Amino acid sequence: MLALLILLPIVFGLLIALAPSAQAKLIGVVGTFLQLGVFLIIALYQFDWSLGAMQQLKTTYPWLPQFGIELSMGVDSIAMLLLGLTAFLGPILVISSFSAVSTRPKTYYAWLLVLQGAMAGVFCARDAVLFYVFFEFTLVPLYMLISLYGSSNRKAAATKFFLYTFTGSLITLAGVVFLCWWNATQVAQGAYAGAGGWTFSFQALESLAMLSPDAGGMPAFVQTWVFAALIVGFAVKVPLFPFHTWLPLAHTEAPTAGSVVLAGVLLKLGTYGMYRFCLGMTPLGAIELAPVIAVLAIIGIVYAGLVCWVQRDVKKLVAYSSVSHLGFCVLGLFALNSIGLSGSVLYMINHGLSTGALFLLIGMVYERYHTRSMGELGGLAKRMPVWSSFMVFFAMASVGLPGLNGFVSEFMCLLGAFQSGAWTGTGSIAGTVGDLGPWFAAFAALGLIVTAIYILYMVGKVVWGELREPQGHSASSHDDHALPTDLNAREIGVLIPLAVACLFLGLYPTPVLRSLEAPTRAMAVRVESAREHLAVPPVDLATDEAADAPTGEPITLRTTNEGEGE
Amino acid sequence: MLVDIATMAQGDFPEPMTGLTLMHYLMTSGLLFALGLVGFVTRRNLIIMFLCTELMFQAAGIALIAFSRFHLNHTGETFVIFVLTIAAAEAALALALVVLLFRRKETLDASSWAELRG
Amino acid sequence: MTSGLDMLTPLADLIGSGALAAPPAGEKAAGAVHGDIGAWVMAIPFLPLLGSLLCVLCAIFKVKSKLPAWITVAGLAGAFVAAFVMFQQTTGADGGSQWAVAKAFDWINFQWGSEGQALVANFSFYVDSLTCLWMLFVTGLATLIALYASEYMSHDKGPGYCRFFFAFNLFVFSMACLVMGDNLLLLFLGWEGVGLCSYLLIGYFYKKESAVAAAKKAFIMNRIGDLGLSLGVMLTFVHFGTLEYAQLFHDPEMFPKYLALAQAGDFASIPWQVELIPILLAVGAFGKSAQFPLYVWLPDAMEGPTPVSALIHAATMVTAGVYLVARFLPVFAANQAALGLVILIGAFTALLSATIAMRQYDIKRIMAYSTVSQLGYMFVGVAVLAPSGGAFHVFTHAFFKATLFLCCGAVMHGFAGQLDLRKLSGVMSMKGWLIVSLAMLVGCLNLAGVPFTAGYFSKDMILAESFVNGHAIAGWVLLITAGLTAYYTFRVFFRVFVGPTHAEPGEDLHPHEGESMEEAKANFHAHAPGWAINLVLGILLVGSILVAFLYPMHWADDMIATSTAGGIGAGDHTGTVLGMDPHKVMYYVSAVFGVTGILIAAFLHGPKGLWSLGIGNRSEAETSRADALVPKVGPVAHLAERKWLVDELYHATIAMPLRVIAHISHALDRLLVDGLVNLFGWLPRLFGRTIRPAQNGLLHSYAIRMVGGVGVVVLLVVLVTLL
Repeated sequence: MLALLILLPIVFGLLIALAPSAQAKLIGVVGTFLQLGVFLIIALYQFDWSLGAMQQLKTTYPWLPQFGIELSMGVDSIAMLLLGLTAFLGPILVISSFSAVSTRPKTYYAWLLVLQGAMAGVFCARDAVLFYVFFEFTLVPLYMLISLYGSSNRKAAATKFFLYTFTGSLITLAGVVFLCWWNATQVAQGAYAGAGGWTFSFQALESLAMLSPDAGGMPAFVQTWVFAALIVGFAVKVPLFPFHTWLPLAHTEAPTAGSVVLAGVLLKLGTYGMYRFCLGMTPLGAIELAPVIAVLAIIGIVYAGLVCWVQRDVKKLVAYSSVSHLGFCVLGLFALNSIGLSGSVLYMINHGLSTGALFLLIGMVYERYHTRSMGELGGLAKRMPVWSSFMVFFAMASVGLPGLNGFVSEFMCLLGAFQSGAWTGTGSIAGTVGDLGPWFAAFAALGLIVTAIYILYMVGKVVWGELREPQGHSASSHDDHALPTDLNAREIGVLIPLAVACLFLGLYPTPVLRSLEAPTRAMAVRVESAREHLAVPPVDLATDEAADAPTGEPITLRTTNEGEGE
Repeated sequence: MLVDIATMAQGDFPEPMTGLTLMHYLMTSGLLFALGLVGFVTRRNLIIMFLCTELMFQAAGIALIAFSRFHLNHTGETFVIFVLTIAAAEAALALALVVLLFRRKETLDASSWAELRG
Repeated sequence: MTSGLDMLTPLADLIGSGALAAPPAGEKAAGAVHGDIGAWVMAIPFLPLLGSLLCVLCAIFKVKSKLPAWITVAGLAGAFVAAFVMFQQTTGADGGSQWAVAKAFDWINFQWGSEGQALVANFSFYVDSLTCLWMLFVTGLATLIALYASEYMSHDKGPGYCRFFFAFNLFVFSMACLVMGDNLLLLFLGWEGVGLCSYLLIGYFYKKESAVAAAKKAFIMNRIGDLGLSLGVMLTFVHFGTLEYAQLFHDPEMFPKYLALAQAGDFASIPWQVELIPILLAVGAFGKSAQFPLYVWLPDAMEGPTPVSALIHAATMVTAGVYLVARFLPVFAANQAALGLVILIGAFTALLSATIAMRQYDIKRIMAYSTVSQLGYMFVGVAVLAPSGGAFHVFTHAFFKATLFLCCGAVMHGFAGQLDLRKLSGVMSMKGWLIVSLAMLVGCLNLAGVPFTAGYFSKDMILAESFVNGHAIAGWVLLITAGLTAYYTFRVFFRVFVGPTHAEPGEDLHPHEGESMEEAKANFHAHAPGWAINLVLGILLVGSILVAFLYPMHWADDMIATSTAGGIGAGDHTGTVLGMDPHKVMYYVSAVFGVTGILIAAFLHGPKGLWSLGIGNRSEAETSRADALVPKVGPVAHLAERKWLVDELYHATIAMPLRVIAHISHALDRLLVDGLVNLFGWLPRLFGRTIRPAQNGLLHSYAIRMVGGVGVVVLLVVLVTLL
């Protein structure tokens, strides 16, 4: 079934290439809806959400057996949620492009569907090489979409996007290869009996990461370096400050659907990769470098937010806001505790919905006015009330208004960071795992203010105020498209599912949170129990005496002092 | 040293080449090749340069035939026959190209064509 | 209304009423709140929510009638009835702390620890008498003001009307969540929700740049406070492991423990985390309740339609901060510094904004500054551990300030947006304005603290307690403020409502067809308020008078005593002031201050004749005796008129630098951060460019290099062979 999720859109993409161009839209819609249908069948009938921490629906075919590389697929609940986001956005992407793309529709829809398949592949992959193949392959369709269907500066944007992310991922690849090489050569025989000790399977790599250095596991300082290598590619993808400069350019130049899919899913490949690789495979590195990454995330939150505030191009503003928002997501990840991790995963979904919707809305205005400059547009509430209502709605979702989706995840990310660290309370909650602390949360929470400033600045310019339209724009009709002044039924139909999803996740996130409990807790426990390898002295120095003594800080999972209150 | 080997190898040759050893052939070939090379490098005229390459070709051919005779098999000769035929075709083509180039710029100076300059 | 309730009852039965939580063991057993009030509790937030959804439907179906207003009035009236039932049921039994939790549905429920630790914040409502006190006036006033607005907004029927009532309903829903939420996150939802509605309603006239800017300012200022509040919420969660009131307030290991420590004077045993919580919460409260330094948004918020100003920016939303402090009084009481901070800020804000109000000409703004000032009173009241005084002042203030605003609104509505007190005079003697003027008079008397009005009693409770509980300085500041309040209140009354008749239309005047602006001004006739406005003002007029009778009944004391704030502070007025019972003393002292203020106002602004007790001499609208006084006061008067330049100061020290930093960041982003990236792209190009001349396209040079290359290889081979 998982293979179907990947192959269906790709096959339909090929079909589009073969069919006459008049049929491209139809095939695209069918393909994406079929993918969504397959996902729903998996989610409702095949996937056991109560065992969210487990890899399910596993399928494995040998690929390069000499190196233990397999075509291996499987999903846990985190991957399922992100797959859901991908499949959910698919039809929206296709339908929203109907009026925007008039030239060479076959190429456009074909690449869009191939991209859908590739993204699904990333979330389904259970093998580092397979993951990497899909991860890199997503670049190709998006490169095509940007460089063929973008705005004026599209070539440069596409090139920069491709080269920057590709360079980053190469370093990640080096990290993966080093990790697997270490496991194949350094780990004591018998720890993993694979093909000559080689394995690229997530499961094996994750369990090998828990080996103590005595048994040949990677010691902390090596893990730190491998972590640093691994995170480069993902940090570029996320993008984490200071690796973010490709994003505003790519977003502004990309066609609407390209922006939506970029913000909606592709950025999440980075955070998902961080979760799987950086936290899962180099937990000690994550512990050592968590404060550094968190500081970068916080700088990103505030700094990108401020940069948003001085943008003139609406789309660029929203693009920079992604950098700011994803900072919360990364902060939650590196809180390294259950609340932060769940908040972060939920944030991935929520950001995809609300920012995706904002890009759609901006695209709709762009189709009508052919400008995105806040100097030329203003007071659209008068001309386009329906559009404006949606704009205010999604802007508020983006601000993180409680009751809408952004709040729950943002709050949990901040709470995770706040709760993280050696900072212990005295009540029923005794400090939890992690290396951040209240200061991290306090500085990141400045983002709440900055976000309000720039989003309201945008809304105030574009939605409210005196009506401003570009010079020479005839008020009654739009130039070349048969688009009405306000949104048409198709556009409203595209936005409504997103709005409903935002409301649902804002008011009733509990089911999603439930499904995240098990995997994130497992991850937090893994990271925490890896911590005991931090202070293990080098093997040759370990005398019997030292081995008996508690090694370093006896950090275990602190439990509540229950019974004390009774 | 080379001469010794050559005479040794010709021990039971049907008709000993009187005085002419493999060395002589190779020397001839080398000289021809050097002539061609020098010509190719020093001259600017496309036709002359082309002829120089032909010269180098034939130098290689002589060496091949000499070795063929020396080793008492026909591999080298076969090679040379192929090379000759192909060289003929290629000469036709090359001269045609030269004619075309001449028509373009009314000159045969090789340095007037430097389109591949980076 | 029953139909709406019938619709909700099954829902509430299904998910709510069964979940009425019994107080945990150790408290009074279940049944402390008798009767099954789950359905009623649910009705309070969800009827307005239903109303807002119906308003959206109205907008979709392009309803052009007053339907949204009637939906709103009906829904809110239903909510008020429900609140009243809830109040009856909650306070029926005597003694003990009575509370109940009614759960609607899971909102956030996340098990994060292996020991069953969870982050739980459900849509469930905590009901005790403090909740009831707040919800009574919130729903009651909201109903009345919705009725008022149905007429006030009638020129905007259509999408704007739907938008207005949508936000209005949503506001009441949010406010209900804020006040009734049984956990800090639901409070936060309400907190931000009312902020959103405030934003939408301040910016209701979105074509006016000033309205848009004011809306933005309100939201951002509130967000600054929310930052403190959210950190406070996190700290509470991290320290106590829960956000639910049922545990926080009733688990003996949580707030009660620290409250007991504080009351025993053992402040050293209270960890600093617990001491930090109230300070962070107070920051949030200062933002929402417009206290210094975050008060500047409230006067600007008067850009919104007047019913909004009356409901949100005077009566209900801005008291949320006071509610927060009153609700969390047990944890505030555990930190003397936090209480001191609240008293300091409250008293200072009260004085500061009263001085500003004295020199404003826009009557709505005067009322706005007066609200800020009165909120300061409430904070002081709660923080000097007289929560009943603070809460009672909230209650009385809600009535008379709503009255005052609605009167201003009626004036504004009738005189085409005119709000300048120099351009209006003698409104009372115009035809059809009697009820408005009487309501205004009652409101002014209340605000000025004239003896035997509700405002007099509630202010008195705060003043007396601040003297008793050792905050005499704050007490004196508030007394002086009371005098100033009486002055600026009656300055408005004397100038606008009595005296020679004069009226200029305001800027909302739209000339009829074929009429110039001048002609329109000359032909201008004020249109007197219609039945809805008069009815609402009449009810409020009576209500504002009747509220005073709650004082001798000790209603507020009783309400607070049975809530979570009960048992804190000196309920038994043991101290003395000037050797007498403080309340008795205050009766006289504050009356003296109030009446003095009114007399000064009468002298400076009163018209000739009986209305100003014969001491006024104003004969025209524009000027008064006060104008002659202004030059003598010197720059102080000018600075007060310029609002002490606080806005300018903020702009110069915060907004501008931040904007500059933003620009610098953007430049850095393009030049440095992106520049480095481009540098990495540029380095290989540089290398390529350096070796590019080698590719010269000349056949000979290639040939020579080839020969050279071969030569080098041969040479190397020879060398290697020889060596």
